[in-house]
Amino acid sequence: MKVKPKLRKGIVKVKAMAKNEMITYNQAEKKFGDREKADFITHLTGTVNGETVIDISTSQFLSKNPIFKFEFKGDNFKKGDKLLMNWVSRLGKTGKGKGKIK
Amino acid sequence: MERRKFLSLTLGALALAVVPASVRAEDFRKLKPTVWSAHTVDDAIKNMYGTTDAIDEGVKLTTPDVAANGGAIPVKFSTKIDAKTIAVFQDANPEAAVCVYAINKYSVNNYDIKIKMAKSGTITVIVEGKDGKLYRAKKTLEVALGGCEG
Repeated sequence: MKVKPKLRKGIVKVKAMAKNEMITYNQAEKKFGDREKADFITHLTGTVNGETVIDISTSQFLSKNPIFKFEFKGDNFKKGDKLLMNWVSRLGKTGKGKGKIK
Repeated sequence: MERRKFLSLTLGALALAVVPASVRAEDFRKLKPTVWSAHTVDDAIKNMYGTTDAIDEGVKLTTPDVAANGGAIPVKFSTKIDAKTIAVFQDANPEAAVCVYAINKYSVNNYDIKIKMAKSGTITVIVEGKDGKLYRAKKTLEVALGGCEG
């Protein structure tokens, strides 16, 4: 996934995009004839230097290739630190990405 | 050898047990599975927080009044309340829950996401304060073209 963190005035603003089709139960039924093939991101986390800065549990109703914008306090972090993000989907797929704080 | 194995296993287990809260992830899909299968917003909120009593203030929610594309509706929300969790629900899709944020000590509660809605409906954002109270913001919007059949 793409992760773009920016540090300004003590606050890190992040724009992150995960690549996932976010297939709902209804879409799975229509496409594959099987609701259980629904697959979407269920949990997404981000850490900097081992500290959790974002933690979201999600459902199938986020858009396809969802974009997450969020902010966190930057006092303990500096430019050049890396924000590592990970997600896991309903059927166990995983994705990750990292971005240097600019 | 056996003892060494036992020791390293125990130490490993101990190390896992003392992982500080700051790096422990809270997966609400595992902690509260019924939230995600609830069909109405009220049921989902009740399953998440045990009550639907909420104060209608302190939460700012912005969405377009009319969304051209139901497949990606921008939803912005923020709060200054000292929060524990923030949850987003809507009533246009088969199930109500969209996402739940576990707030940490670094959080600046200003978010922007894109969601899917099958038809026109109401988005509800609930902020669970550290004071134990729930704060709520609602916004009804029109969806011109439904997003991928929910």
